[in-house]
Amino acid sequence: MNNQDGAYILQVQGLNVFYGSFQAVNNVSFDVKPGEIFGLLGPNGAGKTSTLSAVEGLLKPQGGSITVAGYNAKEKPLYARAAMGVQLQATSFQPELTVAEILQLYAGIYGVSMTKEKLRDILTDINLADAESKKFGELSGGQQQRVSLIISTIHDPRLVLLDEPTSGLDPQSRRRLWERIEAIRERGHGVLITTHSMEEAEAVCDRIAIIDHGRIITIDTPQALIEKHRNDPEVISVSRRGKITLEDVFIALTGRAIRS
Amino acid sequence: MQPTITIPKTSAVFGSLLRADFTTQWRNRRSFILVLLVPVIILFSWKGLIGKLGGAFVIANCMTVGLIAIGLMGYSNSIARDRDKGIFQRLRVAPVPSWAIMMSRLTVQIIMISLMSIAVFVAADYLDKVTLSPAGYVLTFVTAFVGGAVYLSLGQVIVGLIKNPETVNSTTRLVYFAFIMVGMLGELGVLGDDFKNIVHWTPYGTVKTMLASSMEPSKWNTDTTTSLLVTIGYTVVLAFAGIKKFQWNSK
Repeated sequence: MNNQDGAYILQVQGLNVFYGSFQAVNNVSFDVKPGEIFGLLGPNGAGKTSTLSAVEGLLKPQGGSITVAGYNAKEKPLYARAAMGVQLQATSFQPELTVAEILQLYAGIYGVSMTKEKLRDILTDINLADAESKKFGELSGGQQQRVSLIISTIHDPRLVLLDEPTSGLDPQSRRRLWERIEAIRERGHGVLITTHSMEEAEAVCDRIAIIDHGRIITIDTPQALIEKHRNDPEVISVSRRGKITLEDVFIALTGRAIRS
Repeated sequence: MQPTITIPKTSAVFGSLLRADFTTQWRNRRSFILVLLVPVIILFSWKGLIGKLGGAFVIANCMTVGLIAIGLMGYSNSIARDRDKGIFQRLRVAPVPSWAIMMSRLTVQIIMISLMSIAVFVAADYLDKVTLSPAGYVLTFVTAFVGGAVYLSLGQVIVGLIKNPETVNSTTRLVYFAFIMVGMLGELGVLGDDFKNIVHWTPYGTVKTMLASSMEPSKWNTDTTTSLLVTIGYTVVLAFAGIKKFQWNSK
């Protein structure tokens, strides 16, 4: 399919990532459509972060292609990065800078005009109106997460990449974040999210890919995956309380062994 | 749908980075004070030696100490900390060329070199009544940048070889004090003539020689030119090794 016709906001084809002789990502292909929340699920060390890092441009894949909003990430890396907003797993801003200064820094980097009014509106929107002059290092985990998410969408990107965005958040903050992620979808943008939470995947993702040992095992909607594997003996054996959930399917597909 | 993404001008991106980096440096008071105050304190405490050693010798030593602090304590520690916190990774997923991230950091250090040089010039005039000719000020200023480059390169090697920010911090402190003690005592001849000769060709000695001659341009000689070339040689080798070994991620 023509990747410039708007069908895909992200297209990953035949992606291969090696660390020395170890292959972390093996021939991974998937796509994210506009107005879609796509979840990448997998146990620890399955290849989620390596896949995401390759899309973000943080590591060079040894094979395959990545196209963001019609731009080949290898040939036009700056355009590809300008088309995406990224929230990394760890909060990563200078702790000496205030919230306002961080917002101004990233507005400048993405070429977004940031007036005082706009800044105030953004901070009000994320319930941080009184934290404008607070240093980033003084914010709580939930507040830092909100700042991080707003920065990843400050330039209204076509693709938003969220690496375990709700880890460590309380239920209220998590719900609020889900609403924000859904609002991004409503604007017609694509969202690629990695998570360990099956509840989150079921709640917000339109489609999910389960990845293990660097390979994509399956891609479908959460409900279709549950339906497809409902009668698998392995799924039934891992299910609790008689109800088949996405987590049961996930464990059955990736195994019960705990990964490091 | 044709792609219509625009990337911001590099000059605007660079301006934003520079503002943020300088604000961070300014709020990092301990490093700021160390860079500006230590050379001035040495200048004050060596006041009695000016008659014996000469104003240029004393000021050159003070500036060398300041340059070492900037390269080792300021630059490398901030790079190691920000790398460990993932600040560079966050910037690298934005449409920012990698060179702009580093150039902004280096520009902040160049500003620090300028501030330190001015602080030493002012203190030398105020405390020790030592003034230079206009040509002396200009040449010393330029030489300070060349001298600063060798210590920034040394800092780059340290963050290239060591990933852990705590280890970088302790290593730079150790190297800082070793450079100052060995450099100053060696230059003064306290450790013997052979050692004095060795120190003369270390980065401490070559930078100090360049700075001292720059303050009195009429005394610029072959030894100074050789020191300049050796300093540039050190810078090229250290910068090459430091950049080659550097990784953006500490994990």
